[in-house]
Amino acid sequence: MRVLTYLAKRLAFVIPQLVGIILVSFLLVKSIPGDPAVLMLGPTATPDAIAGLRQSLGLDQPLYMQFFIYLKNLLHGDLGTSWQTTRPVLDDLIQRFPATLELVTLSLLLAIIVGVTLGVYAARRPNGWIARLSDAYGLSAGALPDFWFALVLIFVFYTVLHWAPAPLGRIDMVVIPPMPITGAYTIDALLAGDLEAFWSALSHLALPVLTLGLLNAGPILKMTQATMEKMLDSDFSRYEVLSGVPQRLVVRHALRNSLPSVVTIISVLYGYLIGGAVLVEIVFSWGGAGQYAVQGVLNSDIYPVLGFVLFSAIFSLIVYIVVDLIYVLLDPRISN
Amino acid sequence: MLAAIHLLGRLALIRPRFAAGYLIVLTVTILAILAPLIAPYSPTEADSANFLQPPSAAHLFGTDNVGMDIFSRAIYAPRIDLTIAVLGTLLSALLGGSIGALAGYYSTGHGIRVWLSFAVMRAADVIQAFPVFVFAIALVASLGQSIQTVVLAIAFVNAPIYLRLMRSQVLSIRSMRYVEASQVNGLSDFQTIVRHVIPNAMAPVLAQLSINVGWGILLTAALSFVGAGVRAPTPEWGSMIAMGFQNVVTGQWWPSMFPGVMLAITVFGFSLVGASIEALADPAKRRQLLSDARQRDRKKAAVEQPSLERI
Repeated sequence: MRVLTYLAKRLAFVIPQLVGIILVSFLLVKSIPGDPAVLMLGPTATPDAIAGLRQSLGLDQPLYMQFFIYLKNLLHGDLGTSWQTTRPVLDDLIQRFPATLELVTLSLLLAIIVGVTLGVYAARRPNGWIARLSDAYGLSAGALPDFWFALVLIFVFYTVLHWAPAPLGRIDMVVIPPMPITGAYTIDALLAGDLEAFWSALSHLALPVLTLGLLNAGPILKMTQATMEKMLDSDFSRYEVLSGVPQRLVVRHALRNSLPSVVTIISVLYGYLIGGAVLVEIVFSWGGAGQYAVQGVLNSDIYPVLGFVLFSAIFSLIVYIVVDLIYVLLDPRISN
Repeated sequence: MLAAIHLLGRLALIRPRFAAGYLIVLTVTILAILAPLIAPYSPTEADSANFLQPPSAAHLFGTDNVGMDIFSRAIYAPRIDLTIAVLGTLLSALLGGSIGALAGYYSTGHGIRVWLSFAVMRAADVIQAFPVFVFAIALVASLGQSIQTVVLAIAFVNAPIYLRLMRSQVLSIRSMRYVEASQVNGLSDFQTIVRHVIPNAMAPVLAQLSINVGWGILLTAALSFVGAGVRAPTPEWGSMIAMGFQNVVTGQWWPSMFPGVMLAITVFGFSLVGASIEALADPAKRRQLLSDARQRDRKKAAVEQPSLERI
């Protein structure tokens, strides 16, 4: 029951925000020059055909009517049609969003491993060499452009060493992709028992995950280090040390108490990466949702852009709700 | 002002990486200003007979796939990148900072201003809920692709940061006695905000400025990389990296690597400068830094003492 009231409160806040996001993105993409009807029919179209198409797309209506039509369709699960793929945007996104999600989730895992490990070690010895290293790492990781770092990795591991596959999509062209169940190639391949597809998908994931994971570990590292230092410095840790509790346990207890703030920064990063992975998707021809949206912007194809913004907003929302529930698990004191 | 410069100098001595930051920013700025004197070739003219030449004495960084000299282009590039990023950041601080100051000043009480202040914060929520890059690229696309619109996109994307920063500062300052005193003395709200509130809220904004210039450079390069920002042949790091993209895959690394390294070092420099301003603005950190400096001076004195006695 308490969970339900919580959800209701949350939605009361979020739905106006969601409508705001849709409105702003609608106005924004609508003002991108280029007439979809002209673009769809090509340069040889007759004015009559263009006028007909404009009418059937609702483009002859005033802007606010177009917005209401879009909202109405949205309630029926219709996100419009992309003129580039000539498919419903919802179908396109259902196909592409898992690709982005798979990439982003694995990258986030790598970032967590790197960030939390370095952060904990750095906090244990604030003047040691690991602390210096992680300091330098935190500062420089944020300065590297991801699309360029991806290119460096491609040069080293594909062009020179031939360890990684060519940066052309999510799976080898000769390998048949597994039947989509979750949409994530690695999971689907495992479910189908197709090891060849699994390895191919995994090897294609290696470089983009390395790029995003290494470059985004900075915030997690900083947050872990800062909270761990505070926790190790607090009374309960000092008391444990004085009582002769082994150092491993002291660190574990401090980490347990640092988790809420670490989880917060991870959730923010998760939401950010859905859109932040766009450039890496483009470099590796990933065919993900972000790349789809950018293609939409560059070709005045507005519905994919709106659909992507909507999807990523809803995704962030789900992440934040899950995180709120995790807080309760991590710290029983805040359950009410 | 002088005290600040003196403090900066001491800071650079204790924390060498801050010195590195100032050095990087200074060097890149000088390169950008003196580019026409330093560059051995024109940054936009192609020598089609010498395309994709590896780095050599004639072409320090090699040539790209149409035969333009990469070194010349790479040192001309900060003219565009820095200008865009600095203008965009200043504009976003001006826009976000002034609205944030008003929103913070009028955040309690009643009347239409309070509602406006609430509405502004919710608008900032909406803007920040967007995926940054897609938002920026959509802005540039809808305003028409040009250098000015990239500046506007950077300003707009970053404005909510300053809005929040300034608002939270003003919230804590507006209840101070000196603000009350200036109101009692008959200064208008506007005069109070401009003369007494904003000057005292500036420190974190300044630290953010430097960090944001770095982000602005990254965003400019990213937009140009996908073809939505500055267009070739205008020398710009992101579009240079994009031009060399296919060559990297086939083994000619130089067209993309050099501009990328310069871009990364520049952004790194700006974040170091930002970190140093942050350290100066935070009284606790400043005290620690200064006590480090005193210790250092004492050690140095202790080392110098014996040699003096020998004379």
